[in-house]
Amino acid sequence: MNITHVLFWFLSVLALFSALMVITSRNPVHSVLWLIVTFFAISGHYILLNAQFLAIVNIIVYAGAIMVLFLFVIMLMNLNKSTEPKKNRWLQWAGAIAGLCLLLVLVAALKDTEIKGQAAQVNEGEIGLIKNLGKELFSTYVVPFEISSILFLSAMVGAVVIGKASPNPSEGRA
Amino acid sequence: MNALLLSALWGVVMMFSSFLVKEKSAIRNMAVAGLVLLLLVNILEMNGKVFFDINTRGMIYFDRFSLLFNSIAFISTFIYFILSAKDMEKVGDNYAEYFALIFFILCGITLVTSFKSLLILFLGIEIISIPLYILTGSDKRNLKSNEAALKYFLMGSFSTGLMLMGIALIYGAKGTFMTFVPPATVKEAAQATPASALLIAGMILLLFSMSFKVSAAPFHFWTPDVYDGAPSVFTSFMATIVKAAVFASFIRLFNDAFGAEKSQWQLLVAIITAATLFIGNITAVFQQSVKRMLAYSSISQAGFMLFALYAMNGDGKEGLILYATAYSLATIGVFAVLIKLKDFSFEGFNGLSKNQPILAATTTIFLLSLAGIPLTAGFLSKFYMLKAAMETGQNLWLVIFAVLMAAVSVYYYFRVIQAMYFKDGDVSPDLTVSPAFKTILVFLAVLVILLGIFPGLLLNWYYF
Repeated sequence: MNITHVLFWFLSVLALFSALMVITSRNPVHSVLWLIVTFFAISGHYILLNAQFLAIVNIIVYAGAIMVLFLFVIMLMNLNKSTEPKKNRWLQWAGAIAGLCLLLVLVAALKDTEIKGQAAQVNEGEIGLIKNLGKELFSTYVVPFEISSILFLSAMVGAVVIGKASPNPSEGRA
Repeated sequence: MNALLLSALWGVVMMFSSFLVKEKSAIRNMAVAGLVLLLLVNILEMNGKVFFDINTRGMIYFDRFSLLFNSIAFISTFIYFILSAKDMEKVGDNYAEYFALIFFILCGITLVTSFKSLLILFLGIEIISIPLYILTGSDKRNLKSNEAALKYFLMGSFSTGLMLMGIALIYGAKGTFMTFVPPATVKEAAQATPASALLIAGMILLLFSMSFKVSAAPFHFWTPDVYDGAPSVFTSFMATIVKAAVFASFIRLFNDAFGAEKSQWQLLVAIITAATLFIGNITAVFQQSVKRMLAYSSISQAGFMLFALYAMNGDGKEGLILYATAYSLATIGVFAVLIKLKDFSFEGFNGLSKNQPILAATTTIFLLSLAGIPLTAGFLSKFYMLKAAMETGQNLWLVIFAVLMAAVSVYYYFRVIQAMYFKDGDVSPDLTVSPAFKTILVFLAVLVILLGIFPGLLLNWYYF
């Protein structure tokens, strides 16, 4: 049991516990804060796998940008009280049963999978380093990378369509 | 590859025309010109003239099926533009942006019909979905449109999440994003290993998320609300061209990636097909609004298209090509007429045959085709689908059930015809349609009948 094992178990327990807290806490602000903890725990896992770039991006984008957005929305809409509507009991049961079925299938699938050799390259893999990632991204995956620019462009056009105010119908364009 | 790049490029051109071109008619003409160009380069590519030589490392591969499907999508969009593009003006101020979004969707369509890598499938589905969320909510002052967009966005994102989870599991099982990896050696090919549970779990997740995108039951709950809430012009586009293209990718995915595991998913697909046919047709009977009825009818038509997936043989693929064309053309025609009317209920069609005999006659032909009456394209396409399912030799009950459900569908399509011809009413006396609009409708109706008599006109393209 070296330090990596200790860290792994600590981070795993932390990630699972905080993820459970996200969905069980009544207060939306608490949920968001627990979600940040989850993201940090997962970033810790990435670092254990020697994927530093992924870990940093995860923290910057998810824990940083997106969570701030979440908090803003919650505070602007004044949702920080527990205003959860009362849910149908049958619906809750149905949801629980469906979720457990999915869990059963996924656990069975993972249990059945034979792992050839070392599943995770702890502390030694090179692929997660930013240099290798960049090489792979701009050689093997350069076409999907460029295509994703179309996706972002269409999202931007969409944001303009949704967000742009129309001063008056006859003079729509400024 | 030609169409893929040009459609993205033309999307950018339309985006810039938003502030460079003032005239709405000029914007419209540009979009139509772009579409003609798109169709042209795609047909050139079918004849082996590729302008761009890009090494995609096998992730994108344009074969006969995908090129033909792209052509069908472009022709349908072309007809859709000349019939309904004028009505887009009423939706909102961002006229040019709507066209830009539609061209981006066409780019996504060329991706999903030609992917060989799950990564491209995901990108293509997203490039189709995100502009669709926007187009659904483009009528910003209409609460129903807003609600539909939000609903579509939330549920669509969730299903995309499922798809990503499935892709991740498949990557874990296979170690590659490629849908089909030829065995490295003969020996490897001989010893077929049973599919791992990880692969099956991923496959099921992909099946669910794709079923959501084509609105198959029980993943159809978003469809009526979204199709009803979205501006009618855009409902017409997303119920026809987009749905047909996603079906093409559905077939491609299951043919390439999970062809060997057919025994695992065939029964599941059969159940989904039966549920889709049942729910789509039975619920459509009770609708009071024609627009909502058409939404349910699109679910039931999706049930028939699922037969191509269930059978997964040559006949099924031919049938899908014919079905997608027949369904798209007929639905675009019905919607083009519907948009012109003010009242979307069945009463709104009362006495249309007296005011607008040509509109009523062509709508009748489209509805007959949708119901699958002989001599129309709809009949032959249904026939091809059922034939493909018969050839598999199993689950005969499914075919019988489908025929029964097709009989049910006649009821609600004929309600519209009955309203047009046998009920008195004075629909929209101020309804004015240009002669060009009528000409195109007549042309479309002739096309529907022609395909119903000579399906070879279209299907020959698949082989030669």
